[in-house]
Amino acid sequence: MAKRFVIGSERVNVSSILYLLKDTFTLFGMLFVLAVVVANTPSAFAHGEAADEPFLKNMTTAFFNVSVSPTEIEVGEPVKVTGSVKILETWPHTLETPEIASIMPVVPGPVFVLKERFVNGTAAIGSFFAQKGGIYEFEMELVGKEPGDWHVHPGIAVYGTGTLIGPGEWVTVKPSAEPFSFPLTLLSGETIELSTYGGAFAWWWSFAGFVLGVAWILYWTTNKRTVTNLAVTVQLPVNDDAPDIGLITPRDHMWMNVIVGVTLVMLVVGWTYATSNAPVRWPQQTDWFTPEFISSGEKMAEAQASGATYDEASETLEMKVQVTNVVESDIELKQLTIAMATFVNGPEAEQAKAGPRDFVGRLEVQPDGPIAPGETKELTLTVSSQIFGAERLIPTQAPQQFIGAVLRFENGNDGHELVTVRSNVVPTQFRSTYLP
Amino acid sequence: MATETTTVTDIADAAERQRRLELKELLNKKYKWVDWKWDLVFWTTAVFVVAGAADITKQLFAGDWDFWTDWKDPQWWPVVTAFATIIIPSTLQYIQWTAWRFPTGATYTACCLFFAAWVGRYFQWDLAATYPMNFVWPASVVCAGILMDWTLMKTKSFILTSLIGAHVWAIAVWAYNYVPLAAFLQPAHFMDHVVTVADVQGIAYIRSQTPEYLRLIERGALRSFLGETQYVSLAFAGTAAFAGYWIGQFIGRYLAVWPIRRYLKTM
Ligand SMILES: [Cu+2]
Repeated sequence: MAKRFVIGSERVNVSSILYLLKDTFTLFGMLFVLAVVVANTPSAFAHGEAADEPFLKNMTTAFFNVSVSPTEIEVGEPVKVTGSVKILETWPHTLETPEIASIMPVVPGPVFVLKERFVNGTAAIGSFFAQKGGIYEFEMELVGKEPGDWHVHPGIAVYGTGTLIGPGEWVTVKPSAEPFSFPLTLLSGETIELSTYGGAFAWWWSFAGFVLGVAWILYWTTNKRTVTNLAVTVQLPVNDDAPDIGLITPRDHMWMNVIVGVTLVMLVVGWTYATSNAPVRWPQQTDWFTPEFISSGEKMAEAQASGATYDEASETLEMKVQVTNVVESDIELKQLTIAMATFVNGPEAEQAKAGPRDFVGRLEVQPDGPIAPGETKELTLTVSSQIFGAERLIPTQAPQQFIGAVLRFENGNDGHELVTVRSNVVPTQFRSTYLP
Repeated sequence: MATETTTVTDIADAAERQRRLELKELLNKKYKWVDWKWDLVFWTTAVFVVAGAADITKQLFAGDWDFWTDWKDPQWWPVVTAFATIIIPSTLQYIQWTAWRFPTGATYTACCLFFAAWVGRYFQWDLAATYPMNFVWPASVVCAGILMDWTLMKTKSFILTSLIGAHVWAIAVWAYNYVPLAAFLQPAHFMDHVVTVADVQGIAYIRSQTPEYLRLIERGALRSFLGETQYVSLAFAGTAAFAGYWIGQFIGRYLAVWPIRRYLKTM
């Protein structure tokens, strides 16, 4: 019986499905399969980005120095989102090469409005030209519009790929005594309230047209019966409106001319009003620009990853990196950034400064300490963090078993360099699975 | 010979006159159960089916252009909207004209669509997703529907309606909705730029998954036609609407009516 239900190249028609449903045995079988599938599906993640494949996050971009503050405001008050994102040199060849990008807040709908946005110091109303290796420093000002607890992330949308998101922070927006308002100054000097401007007119104008349409329909549907008309029309050619029989009479023509006349008058009056009310009208504006170059810092280290392992049970990543100091002063590895997560080789105070707390963890470096000028060391970087599982950052059985990461080296005099490394990842244990 | 021919024609004419008199009687026949109550149920039920078909077709082909003011541009919006919105009105014109000689199909569809679009925008977009209505108001095609039904009533021909009515449709859809749009095309100061009010809405009301570069709007190109993009676009919109009209006729003839006829024959 179950053989009847074949999806794919074989035809599934209504009768075969009914046949199938009659068969209660098959029905229970299907329910059982459904239950098994549901039970084996990983539970929903807090953020949509966890559903993305790991390479989409760790090989594409790295977000650092992200700050979202303050985290408690009232409706109408501002929140600043600042930080940097680097489009990595490890950008996967399976995605389109990055050329156009747009940085925006990633929030659940317009619960905030975006009032200011700068990319590398330039006011950005839309998109900009981007490239592999580019560093983009952003500064956005949001204003609270809807009360609630909202998770606010910065994100970078890359043409052909989609929106890649950075670390998030919870922001509480409390109701305010003042209702939300959005004043906007037109070039004419007039200030409008953007939340409502032109909305009532759009509705009443459309509604007026609707009333004319309803008049047109009611004229025909109330005066003429469908069933009696059908009995006649089936016996006439389709181009015959039969005024002699009474299908469409001169009186019908007269009234329809009246409605068309009213429609045209309304259109002319509306057009005249709208264009004199807004005499200066522009096409929608585009400003795509090339952001000023931001350097990865002075050259101080050469680093190459020579392999990594990942233990899924303890969510521990261990990566070996060969580092050569190529400057005259001591350097030290301070941070490791993977996608939206930053791991800090330092105490809690330094970790707290590195970004939203849920996306920051501790980096352990072995052997720790400065690397002398000219010295080459093999460092073992170890990170144990729940971010790996929650955000699904590390691939365990992917077609490209690699991760991309950014190392931050510092030399004691405020100099730093960001170095991108790429490493393959081998899981330390393999789970047997019964479903793909 | 001549008189004989006249007689034959006279007889044929008389028979045809008689047939049409009988049809007139048939038209005014009173049925016991099938009166205005049947029509009321029929027209009301059809509202939801037609509204659904028209709304889905519009969202499929012209989704974002209809959703946001900052997509309602001079170049793309008139073309895709004219094409997307004429399909189901054409289908309904075919059905209502052939079945009842009602020149109402386009207007009926337009009114159903008006209802569905505003209900959807208000409850889903404004109340649930908090996008203000003045950013997401839908375009209305009722005015265009009236003019296209009028064209069918005057020409009594689907071919002529597709040739004349489709162009009327394209211009009417654009002109009617340009009236509420005009205010949103005014230039304003925002983020150190001068941009239109519609642009400000697009930037400020965050769409995380619809980045700005995805907007298919006029951005300036070599094909600028001395800056008169709007008129070139409208001419092309008429052609696109013509194609849409015949897709609608196809749906009406082969997907909607033909299966019903076949079903009726088997009864
Ligand atoms: Cu989040």
